[in-house]
Amino acid sequence: MADDTKWGIAHIHASFNNTIMTVTDETGAETLAKSSGGSVVKQNRDEASPYAAMQMAEQLAENVLEQGIEKVHVRVRGPGGNLQRSPGPGAQAAIRALARAGLEIGRIEDVTPVPHDGTRPPKNSGY
Amino acid sequence: MRVAVTGTPGTGKTTATELLDTDLDVVHLNDAIEEEELYTEVDEARDSKVADLEAVREWLDGRDNVLVESHLAHLLDADRVVVLRCAPGELERRLVERGEPAAKARENAESEALDVILSESVRVHGERNVYEIDATDRDPGGVADEIAAAIAGDRDPSAGDVDFTDYL
Ligand SMILES: Nc1ncnc2c1ncn2[C@@H]1O[C@H](COP(=O)(O)OP(=O)(O)O)[C@@H](O)[C@H]1O
Ligand SMILES: [Mg+2]
Repeated sequence: MADDTKWGIAHIHASFNNTIMTVTDETGAETLAKSSGGSVVKQNRDEASPYAAMQMAEQLAENVLEQGIEKVHVRVRGPGGNLQRSPGPGAQAAIRALARAGLEIGRIEDVTPVPHDGTRPPKNSGY
Repeated sequence: MRVAVTGTPGTGKTTATELLDTDLDVVHLNDAIEEEELYTEVDEARDSKVADLEAVREWLDGRDNVLVESHLAHLLDADRVVVLRCAPGELERRLVERGEPAAKARENAESEALDVILSESVRVHGERNVYEIDATDRDPGGVADEIAAAIAGDRDPSAGDVDFTDYL
């Protein structure tokens, strides 16, 4: 029965000062909803906070559920500001909030880009 | 004193540190990693050698009064970490102009937009040891002067003064 519901992809971009989240269709081509940390908190520095990520995730989940998306795969890019382990605390708070708001969570992938030249760092060296 | 000059490839580290007037020994670490074979394997997809950070640490061991210039420099011991920044669109343009493949220019620009190296620098060294310099609209000589000011203690640490997420 649940099999005719649509999958989406939740993209979480976590920079030093900000978190940006979008939900696209399953191919990644069409953006269904978008939110940035600046839209939910007032202080610049809070835009990357777990609180901001949670607020954004709640808004986004509500929006895409109305569009018929009930399940999302999650792609996290960026270490975020409050660094501990990847995905950062903002991203984890966002994923939990997406689930609490009623979205089923599928695969969670960390697709953070790697700064590289002739050389590159080993995996997880910045943690 | 040991100084790290880091930043996403294309921010202008090599260019600025070549112009820098300093008593420190300048180590262009990417070259050393290749010449001394301080890597474990090759990332074929990125045409990039995976640095062996333990081997690098050993190779640098005992050398004081050095300035290590590389996008990996913040992963090593340092008293001060200078992080060069450049707006991702401009960074991508610089890398393509330097002759890099489009995919490499794009992944580095995306890293810069997500503050990957700044975040790592702050995580490893703490905000009070990080000196962020926005090199987007500065000539290499101006960037070198700003690095000299950070080394001399003529400016305060800073991190997170730019927001490049518009690029995403
Ligand atoms: N301040 C600057 N303004 C404009 N172009 C620059 C500047 N610094 C470097 N460049 C150019 O950008 C490219 C990347 O510079 P480079 O020093 O090789 O960066 P990095 O060592 O950080 O990878 C080079 O082609 C260089 O000529
Ligand atoms: Mg260089």
